[in-house]
Amino acid sequence: MSTYGDRGNIICLEKRCEWRGIEARVTQVTLETPVRELKSCDLIFMGGAQDRQQKLAGDDFLHHKGPVVKAMVEQGVPALFVCAAYQFVGHYYQPYQGDKIPGAGIFDLYTVHPGDQKKRLIGNVVAELSCQLSAVSCQLKTIVGFENHGGKTYLNENPKSQIPMTKPLAKVIKGFGNNGEDGYEGAVYKNSIGSYFHGPLLPKNPHIADWLIAKALEMKYGKIIPLENLDDSLEWQAHSQML
Amino acid sequence: MSWFDSIIATNAKTLSKISTTLRLGAGATWPGEIALTVKPNILSSLLSGLRKGIIIVAGTNGKTTTARMIVTILEAQGLRVIHNASGANLLNGIVSALINKADWRGQVSADWGVFEVDENSLPQFIKSIKSIKSKVVLVLLNLFRDQLDRYGEVDVISEKWQKSLESLNNVKIIANADDPLIAYLASSASRPGPSFAQATAGRLEASTRFFGLDDPSQFQKKIEHATDSTFCPTCGTRLLYEGYYYSHIGIWKCIKCKTKRPPLDVSECDYPLPGLYNRYNTLAAVAASQVLDIKQETISEALAGFVPAFGRQEEFTIDGKKVKIFLSKNPTGFNQSLRTILDLGAKHLLLVLNDRIPDGRDVSWIWDVDFELLTQDEHVITVSGDRVYDLALRLKYANLNQFFVEPNLHHALKQSLDVSSKSETLYILATYSAMLDVRKLLTGRKIL
Repeated sequence: MSTYGDRGNIICLEKRCEWRGIEARVTQVTLETPVRELKSCDLIFMGGAQDRQQKLAGDDFLHHKGPVVKAMVEQGVPALFVCAAYQFVGHYYQPYQGDKIPGAGIFDLYTVHPGDQKKRLIGNVVAELSCQLSAVSCQLKTIVGFENHGGKTYLNENPKSQIPMTKPLAKVIKGFGNNGEDGYEGAVYKNSIGSYFHGPLLPKNPHIADWLIAKALEMKYGKIIPLENLDDSLEWQAHSQML
Repeated sequence: MSWFDSIIATNAKTLSKISTTLRLGAGATWPGEIALTVKPNILSSLLSGLRKGIIIVAGTNGKTTTARMIVTILEAQGLRVIHNASGANLLNGIVSALINKADWRGQVSADWGVFEVDENSLPQFIKSIKSIKSKVVLVLLNLFRDQLDRYGEVDVISEKWQKSLESLNNVKIIANADDPLIAYLASSASRPGPSFAQATAGRLEASTRFFGLDDPSQFQKKIEHATDSTFCPTCGTRLLYEGYYYSHIGIWKCIKCKTKRPPLDVSECDYPLPGLYNRYNTLAAVAASQVLDIKQETISEALAGFVPAFGRQEEFTIDGKKVKIFLSKNPTGFNQSLRTILDLGAKHLLLVLNDRIPDGRDVSWIWDVDFELLTQDEHVITVSGDRVYDLALRLKYANLNQFFVEPNLHHALKQSLDVSSKSETLYILATYSAMLDVRKLLTGRKIL
């Protein structure tokens, strides 16, 4: 379901592994991909889509792949969910008109669409990481990207009844973030991240890319494997330009 | 045209003259904007002055070139044409173009109006020509992802178009058969409506001519990443392609509902410009001219002498060195530009990425461009523009590690020219506002 330059996230992960001599194979998960192939993955990425494609993929996800991805995330397999996929891993999506559309229920969050007449949340965004993403050495605590969403996402459906396990990823400095109201952007649950940032997210935020890679290695080999440092001067230059 | 409309048109025209004299910009859209504010339906009233009819060119890529080709052919036939040549394709730009050509009474006097119309403005434009009695030809080129932050997704645009096309009477549609969405829109618009009333209202007279390519030698070996309409527009099943020409353009069919690429009415002609995308632009222009009963001979002669529009393979000579500008504003356009210049043996490249309003603020799309086509050994590359570091980063992740990063466009241009020799061509691929900036530097000769 690639729209909005989602491929950039894949290219980024692939190259950063390649440059370190980490062998990585990308499997494109389509409607036709069998579940066992999905289960063999060490890192999951899911991006946005046009409504029509999303509906097709959504039905498939909810009934077949969603429960598998949920189990994998629970086990600690790192994953990145962006835009529509971010909305989809929550409890539900409430359209302006009509019934709630159930989500995969992986993250404790939900999304509400305030109506077609309401302005979409569009523009460059800068946010400061509020979650401790350990195992990453980074120069900056910010993340940068571009957001374009109609739906507003809220974390922790019922904060009183449980310990909030799903935490916000970052605090918005410039832009809207999850809903343009509470000042938060994205979500973190176990080793998985959800975010409205495309742009795409990873190339200009190499610290996030490396965190995902590190977590994937840790899960696969059962121990922390330090990542070799790369020359990220261009990455941070592109990052800093947006601050 | 009523006396009131005449007054508005004349006044707007005077303002436009003052603007041009003061060098505030010849392609200004504000005279049209003023006229539209005073009289929202000024467009229909201005258009009614066109003696023979209106030709509308719509689609994501190729509008300016196709419209210019049609104008060239019509003028070769000795016809008088009004055209929004500056590429200002919102309603205010079209009204401005009409006002500029109006006489002192505010009357438009020409045979044809040839207008490229922005994707989002097409439904509004169609609304204003409903009452027009003269002939309407609608050329539908393609729909690709473009400025998602501004236009929304391809599916959203196509839905708007479908609703709007249903309301058109007496229109000839020229459509790209190789784009499944366009073929679907054109076919559903030309089919008689569900009710008899609609049929008798003229829907039966609507007819469609399809253009496309029948040239498997041009099929792509590898599918481009930026591909949108690969699902059947009728039933939603994944389409089966005999081959892709580029993006989702190709010979397609649906194995479930049996919808397939419509038979082609026009599939061959002589092409004045390089690039597969320009074959489509040319075929569209030829198909449109044919429904206006222009002789094949006139069409061929006119096209042989075709001069490209500004920034669309436009050529300059600077200090004895050739420079060619390729406007490249979305993934499909950029991929097509890259393929074309590689076919032309390009060695020196200047890539410029801006993120101003006309370019779209979101530059994510560069990750959908296949920069992996470029190689370290064969290409000398400079990158520039407002978002130079985003572009540089994209190149880095496309396996390129030696290129020049120069935020200042002026310096970037000078530097690219300095490293190329007189026998070589510098190819500049730039987004819309970047292309205008490059032209300004080149035509103003400011860099020398």
